Amino acid sequence: MTNLTSTLAISASAMRAQSSRLRITSENIANVDTPGYRRKILSFRAVSNQKIGADMVKAGPVRLDRSEPTRIYNPGHPLADSKGYYTGSNVNLVVEIADARESQRSYEANLKMFDQARQMTRSALEILRR
Amino acid sequence: MSIGPLSAARFYSAAKSATAASPQQKSGADTFGTLVNDFAKAVQGGETTAKAAMAGKADMPSLVEAIARSELAVETAVTVRDKVVSAYQEILRMPV
Repeated sequence: MTNLTSTLAISASAMRAQSSRLRITSENIANVDTPGYRRKILSFRAVSNQKIGADMVKAGPVRLDRSEPTRIYNPGHPLADSKGYYTGSNVNLVVEIADARESQRSYEANLKMFDQARQMTRSALEILRR
Repeated sequence: MSIGPLSAARFYSAAKSATAASPQQKSGADTFGTLVNDFAKAVQGGETTAKAAMAGKADMPSLVEAIARSELAVETAVTVRDKVVSAYQEILRMPV
């Protein structure tokens, strides 16, 4: 595999990782009102690929955010305790939206790299056409 | 020295060995052979991934990567073929 085709593979692995990150973020946003839900955090790790001799990125294990969940006052809620509070989720919507936007930007950056490698290969081929 | 039909036949049979296929070409390990193999593999990979993506088994980045790779492989093969064909035509136009 040449350098430019392995660039394609590496960028595609990063795009895969970012899409799984967005999936985790959407899970968090979907469960923002679920009582007792713990926010999920996805970590990335570098995986060296022997075939192309380069480091690709892979979405690592999912961990749970250990921060305190919010206490919501709603005496009518079925899960409310004697004081009228129940445990909500520890998802912060602002953080999740920022995370989603960041994964979008990273995805676009990798897409740019992908496109650039493709254009470089193509423009090298243009020389032969003349 | 007169060239009779017998000596002409002898010269012909002596020169005929030059047109025999060399055993090197059969090995398949030469660069052009690997190039063709890589090309076939890239196109096949693109087709397999496209089929998997249609069935919902492959994600978008893998599909884009496989298609881009097979596209570049096809483009390389077509360009090289055009170059070879134009070289042949150049030879054919040569006044003998």
